[in-house]
Amino acid sequence: MSDAPIIRVQGLHKSFGKLEVLRGLSFEVKRGEVLAIIGPSGSGKSTLLRCLNFLEEYQAGEVRFDDELVGYRRTAAGKLKLDSENTVRRIRARMGMVFQSFNLFPHKTVLENVMEGPLVVQRVSRNEAELRGRTLLQRVGLIDKIGAYPPQLSGGQQQRAAIARALAMQPDAMLFDEPTSALDPELVGEVLEVMQSLAAEGMTMVVVTHEMGFARQVADRVMVMDRGEIIELAPPAQVFGAPESPRTAEFLRRVLH
Amino acid sequence: MDYIWQWNQIWDYRQVFVRGMQVTVILTCWALLIGLALGLLLGLMRSSRLMVLRIPAAVYIDIFRATPILVQLVWIYYALPILSGVQMGNIASASVGIGLHAAAYIAEIFRAGIASIDRGQSDAAKSLGMGYGQAMRRIILPQAIRRMVPPFINEFATLMKLTTLGSVLAVNELLHEAENLINNTYRPLETYTVVAVLFGLMIYPFIWLSQRLEQRWKARG
Repeated sequence: MSDAPIIRVQGLHKSFGKLEVLRGLSFEVKRGEVLAIIGPSGSGKSTLLRCLNFLEEYQAGEVRFDDELVGYRRTAAGKLKLDSENTVRRIRARMGMVFQSFNLFPHKTVLENVMEGPLVVQRVSRNEAELRGRTLLQRVGLIDKIGAYPPQLSGGQQQRAAIARALAMQPDAMLFDEPTSALDPELVGEVLEVMQSLAAEGMTMVVVTHEMGFARQVADRVMVMDRGEIIELAPPAQVFGAPESPRTAEFLRRVLH
Repeated sequence: MDYIWQWNQIWDYRQVFVRGMQVTVILTCWALLIGLALGLLLGLMRSSRLMVLRIPAAVYIDIFRATPILVQLVWIYYALPILSGVQMGNIASASVGIGLHAAAYIAEIFRAGIASIDRGQSDAAKSLGMGYGQAMRRIILPQAIRRMVPPFINEFATLMKLTTLGSVLAVNELLHEAENLINNTYRPLETYTVVAVLFGLMIYPFIWLSQRLEQRWKARG
């Protein structure tokens, strides 16, 4: 393993039609780092996260994962061209993603959900996939729910299953898109606990969140976004203690009351 | 009313109904096969991001839904041979005509079913590294097909009833056989009643099955 950053974003621009959602972002995420992204709604946090594994196409700049350009390739003339689906898929398989609305597959049991990626994408044996699935579900505390279907679970259980599903691919990094925003308050803790233990194990994590406690205690660095720009990127002590930008201070005042 | 029903004669000619039903079933199967295969293809094309796939599918669907099937059948049987030199038999013409017609409706059922699945499902599949085909086959279609069952059974019933239009091409399906029979027996009331009951018996089990499946899937959530 090198010390080179695993995710490197340079001059990233993204628009939906005329609406410019990301206006030239540049940052890096080191291996093993936990980066929390916070900011007001509509500031482009989720869009940024979705650009990292190319669920959203971007119009300018570049996203690199482990030094490889994500979603595009350079032609001999130096122009960017959309990459083949296969290359994009190979990179996506190395980044786990957890969604706000869980997005478990409702027609499959919890265990089948977790086995799906290894079986279909990595083509490991059924035994190997099941072993991974059981180990991970044990770890997130759902071993007694492996035969259940997602709609039978609470939101917190569903999100923990979704984390296990992403981990089953043995990813090099995990992307979390507001993982606790759809949960009842009393279920937030169990999901954050799982994320915290992942962080402690050294998983590289990019977490879009409204949980300021998590950002402050677990993140190595906190990125504050507003209107498609990075207005602050620093360790949590600095962002929460002595923010440089008045917009950060204003945002924090509002969310921390 | 003092109409006197006479069933003896009808019973004597029961073989005619059996023969007609056989042709109706064959016609239904062929039309269904064509309708399903082409309908799935058109439905996927219609859901595509690529204009070169989406537009031709949309044009096909609109043309077949906007013109009467009777005209389509007659056109395939009488006009197509003159224009292209392809002359199909009457059963083949009717199967193809009803199949092409049903494909337009089945395509819309597939499209609507696929569109009804939350985008998060394909996001999740993609984020695991699945390709379009894998995501469709393993994640989207299995969920979409459940929602398609009721409209699909509906379309199946319509299709089976549409096979009676084969009679204009002199296909010996149930209705055509019945009409021939009436020319011999002069018992239209009995004969048409039997035809209606036979169609009901052929179609109702599928309607029942569809309701059962819907209930079972609803129970599991």
